[in-house]
Amino acid sequence: MSTAKRVCLTGATGFLGRRLVPRLLNEQDVTVRCLVRNSSDVDPLLGVLSAEQQSRIEFVRGDMRDAEYLKQGLDSCDVLYHLAAALGGSTSTLFLNTVVPTRQLLDVAHAQGVGRFVLVSSLGVYGTAGLRNWQQVDETCPLDPQPERRDPYSFSKVRQEQVAREFSQKTGLPLVIVRPGVIFGEGRPLITSRVGLSVGPLLVRMGGSHSLPYTYVENCAEALKLAGLTPGVEGETFNVVDEGFLTGHQLVRYVRRHGQKKWSVWVPGMCIQPLSWMYETYSWLSSGQLPPVITPYRSAAIWKPLRYSSSNAKAKLNWQPPFTVEQSLERTIAG
Amino acid sequence: MTTLSPPSNKQASPSASPKLQPVTGQQPKSSVRVAILGCGQIADAHLSQIQRIKFAETVAVCDSLEDLAYQAAARFNVPAMFTDWREMLQQAQPDVVHLATPAHTHAALAIELMKAGVHVYVEKPFTLDVNEADRVLAVARETGKAICVGHDQLFDPVWLRVKQLVAQGAIGSVGFVESVLGYPINGQFGKLVASDPNHSVRRLPGGLFQNTISHPLYRMTDYLTDEVPTLIGGWERNTEFDFPTELHVSLLGEKVNGTLTFSTRIPPQRITRVYGEKGTLTVDFDTQVIRREARPRLPGAFAKLEAPLQHVTESVRNLTRNLWRFAWGDIHYFAGMKTLFEQFYRSIMHGSEPPIPAIEIRRVTHIMDQIFDHCRRQEGGQA
Repeated sequence: MSTAKRVCLTGATGFLGRRLVPRLLNEQDVTVRCLVRNSSDVDPLLGVLSAEQQSRIEFVRGDMRDAEYLKQGLDSCDVLYHLAAALGGSTSTLFLNTVVPTRQLLDVAHAQGVGRFVLVSSLGVYGTAGLRNWQQVDETCPLDPQPERRDPYSFSKVRQEQVAREFSQKTGLPLVIVRPGVIFGEGRPLITSRVGLSVGPLLVRMGGSHSLPYTYVENCAEALKLAGLTPGVEGETFNVVDEGFLTGHQLVRYVRRHGQKKWSVWVPGMCIQPLSWMYETYSWLSSGQLPPVITPYRSAAIWKPLRYSSSNAKAKLNWQPPFTVEQSLERTIAG
Repeated sequence: MTTLSPPSNKQASPSASPKLQPVTGQQPKSSVRVAILGCGQIADAHLSQIQRIKFAETVAVCDSLEDLAYQAAARFNVPAMFTDWREMLQQAQPDVVHLATPAHTHAALAIELMKAGVHVYVEKPFTLDVNEADRVLAVARETGKAICVGHDQLFDPVWLRVKQLVAQGAIGSVGFVESVLGYPINGQFGKLVASDPNHSVRRLPGGLFQNTISHPLYRMTDYLTDEVPTLIGGWERNTEFDFPTELHVSLLGEKVNGTLTFSTRIPPQRITRVYGEKGTLTVDFDTQVIRREARPRLPGAFAKLEAPLQHVTESVRNLTRNLWRFAWGDIHYFAGMKTLFEQFYRSIMHGSEPPIPAIEIRRVTHIMDQIFDHCRRQEGGQA
């Protein structure tokens, strides 16, 4: 697949990056350069590599706001995987740590003649509030037209994609966008906001009759590797979800069966919108005494029953998830 | 070109789309046109509280980073955004600019803004030191522009209630004030500051403390009225960090003493205790609870029953008050900020005295300088 490629990464020591790097180094003639912060601990990553693989990896430490550092890091780079992104914090913090560095990285990547810029986006960028129940979500669905009404993370990812697309169209920088679903794996909880809301020790399960848009971290890393190394996919966008994953109901039952106590109450799917409307109205009437974190728009974006498709990745990248749903769940619970 | 396309605006209320106001045009005399300069995290608080004020309208936001201006304008339905503040003044024509930029930019920007003809609200800390504060206040006098600092907790409902109780003689004359700020370094902002040696907060003369101790300090200086109190104590470095993270100082005044504690070892909390000759008032800003403890009047063993009974009575009173406030939608984290904004805007509209006198702005800045100088001397073993 690859012929002597120099691959650069941001976010190499993160949850996904730690799985992507060994897969890249499994490819012969690929050398990997990781752009990491001064404070990043690279030992866990090096620990899973063979001596031969360690000879093909280098770390360049610095600050992504420093253009000179990025120039040095992206020198002679064929493929750049941009994984680094803020996961939490206020909207301004997420923009500062996700969107602003992406702009800088795009500029330098273009100036350095990077052959392909692979942006790790999110399945959350779609404007799912406007879709019908059970509609299929593929790469042709539009981005959320009102991302400012979403949670801060989704808003920042929509903006990041817009910035990258506009830049690519303007400059011709070859861009590939990967939109993973909720990435799970060893060390991360299986129950997320896609299943319901955690209120103290209680889980408020929201709907839960549709297959969750999850992807196991190793499966996602494989898709990502292919998005960078497969020839001729510039300009493409790829959803990455493990099709046939459990529903919310099934996932809660699964974690209970495996010994995790989970007290929960269930909100049927048909009640989510009226309850969200009531919450938002109260929030508005009380001038934000309870902040508008639950709104009909946000609820539709997270909990509406939809079918997510990865068929583009399967067709054009020849992606086959290396782990089945059962295997990935077992590994996650065991880890 | 620094004027940016207006963002979409969809969420002023759940039921109706907001009406956009023109950026330019005649200013209604009954309202104030406000602009925000600096769209970081604290700008969210400003924008949300301004939205709650009927006679104020946010006409523009500005940040040197286009994406930060964009996200603020989009979420708060602001009709114009800029990356150049001069252009913002020219096009959006605000009456007041809120300065929510990093502290080291406050003095220069506040001076330029007032000279350009707008009133200025400056987030805390006011300036890096008292020399800068003097320059800013001098320009305010020269230009006739109003200036205010973000000492918003002085206008928090619980603090206003404490002041009322003290004024009514509930605890007699005040002799001691204790102010605590819990600021875990593993919080979102703390982590950011700790992991980046070049973070603007780390480069402040008072480091991590300068960005936050004005809050616990001005709650003390409301009663401790000295210009130059005697200082005891200092700051210390936690072994994990290469910069000071704990601060504990006593301020000895002519009539009132106090202690100020900033700790990264305790959970987030904002607590002030006011000691009077007849009792104490403990105010917890986060839970919006005031606990009043009078000296027991009963003798001997009976006093041991009277005190816990007082606690029960106080708990019932607090619960009733907070239930009532909750029912009326009156519990807001930045309630003091809204009241301070309202009073500042009214002072501009009516040409009256600002809510925080210039002399108080200067005094708090000066005492902060003294605290940091004292701590540095203590650390260097020169005191």
